[in-house]
Amino acid sequence: MTAIEIRNLVKSFGAVKAVDDVTFTVEAGSVTGYLGPNGAGKTTTLRSLLSLVTPDSGEALIHGRRYRDIEAPLAEVGAVLEATSFHPGRTAANHLRGLCIAGRLPVKRAEEALGQVGLADVAGKRVGGFSLGMRQRLALAGAILGRPRVFILDEPANGLDPAGIEWLRGFLRHLAHDQGAAVLVSSHVLSEVEQTVDDVVILARGKLVRQGALDEIVTGDDASVRVRTARAPELADALEAAGATVERVTEDTLRVRGLDSEAIGQLALDRRIVLTEVGQERSDLQKVFLELTEGR
Amino acid sequence: MTALVRAELHKLFTTRLWWIMMIVMILLIGISLGFAIGSAGVESNGLSTPARTSPEWLELAWSAGASGSIFVMILGVIMMTSEYRYQTVTGTFLATPRRTPVIAAKLVAGLIVGALFAVAALLFETVVAIPAVLISGGEVSLTASHIPQISLGILANLALNVLFGIGLGALVRNQIAGVVAAIVWSYAIEGIFSSFPALQPVGKWLPGGAARALMSIDIDTGLGRPDLLPAWAGALVLIAYAVLFAFVASATTVRRDIT
Repeated sequence: MTAIEIRNLVKSFGAVKAVDDVTFTVEAGSVTGYLGPNGAGKTTTLRSLLSLVTPDSGEALIHGRRYRDIEAPLAEVGAVLEATSFHPGRTAANHLRGLCIAGRLPVKRAEEALGQVGLADVAGKRVGGFSLGMRQRLALAGAILGRPRVFILDEPANGLDPAGIEWLRGFLRHLAHDQGAAVLVSSHVLSEVEQTVDDVVILARGKLVRQGALDEIVTGDDASVRVRTARAPELADALEAAGATVERVTEDTLRVRGLDSEAIGQLALDRRIVLTEVGQERSDLQKVFLELTEGR
Repeated sequence: MTALVRAELHKLFTTRLWWIMMIVMILLIGISLGFAIGSAGVESNGLSTPARTSPEWLELAWSAGASGSIFVMILGVIMMTSEYRYQTVTGTFLATPRRTPVIAAKLVAGLIVGALFAVAALLFETVVAIPAVLISGGEVSLTASHIPQISLGILANLALNVLFGIGLGALVRNQIAGVVAAIVWSYAIEGIFSSFPALQPVGKWLPGGAARALMSIDIDTGLGRPDLLPAWAGALVLIAYAVLFAFVASATTVRRDIT
């Protein structure tokens, strides 16, 4: 069964359409990055999915039903929303114990979860003294309390230091690829998710602009090939004659569109031109993202 | 439902607020009792306050416990508004997405906490007021001083004031506004309507007036006998208010977007 399903979701706040007819799914065993600039509607989508916000129309379902209709939600869905959702005067362990009591989970899960996120040492400390990174870990501990199979994380890397981000990446991949969980993680900082996600859904001004496997989106439709040769002008003429668009990048390097690397290699072989380098140019996600979300 | 009430009590008892409020409440009741002990039997303008040995003195002194109502009301306001202030409401509704049971659990937890505060206030009164009577050579008669009825009135008053606070907190959501509103209500509005004889016909229908009716303090302290409802009517009015506050708390929370 599809883990997360968003179908024609629409939500307005006053005159502002925060989410405008968004549809996508997330399958078990994969990490999906939900990307978009600040204010694109990511958080509203995730909060609709968690029944914190009531959509105007459309559906946001987990395993085929609304969050508010799930009998034991903590055991099915783990969510991290913002890192500020703690009472500063309560200890980390007591915060989690309260969730265990309300969610009818064994109270000992609080200590176990703290250990899993590396906060066992500060279990008895008040959250008020925690750094942003520690709060993010505590929020993650709350998400794994009920050992759920679906994770919904809103900007979980905010406030984490580079080591924390590396740890988070490993943690999310472990959840999805080793434990078969479905992970939906939003971010506006693309480099954070690029090495973690399998699929991406890109949102801009409430509208879905692109979705698919990360590889497809990064490679793109008009992928270019970078070719290096000592006889660049000669090769350029030959490629143009064969119908490709050629751009001189440097003295000996060409960027070729319209032919794939195999066709270029064949052409060079026919002309007995030695190629010193041939490579598919991957536009990085950041660039794709800016192209897709700008001017909308 | 039991789990949700336990979760609400856990939330309250794992922060420092409750015992700070309880100490402040006991201090205020202590000051009232000290004043009652010091001013007993004093004559002024031809009228005299009851002597420490009289059953009326203990009756008046015992009613000091009702002054704890403002603290439990503030406690109720904070139980509700801190969920919004610290956004813990998100986690609360993620653990229990059906909101009506959450609000119901909060109200039940509020009643329990209010009752605990009332028990603390009554224990404190026992250890201060009764020795005061005995040292003065008086005799303590629980029935002559209406102690059981006043105690019940204090219990109901404090328990219901937590509900009032929770309802108020759900309505305004801003913690400071909620606490200020609770103080203004208790000291200014209730105070005006209960002190001025011309306003007492209205004041007796307010929560504070109904709570005093429940305690049936019917002693002339120099301002004339207060105009109060009969005890049973006071009880009914208080229950009606409790239902109203519960409804307000629920209606303002169940459909609201948590963003």
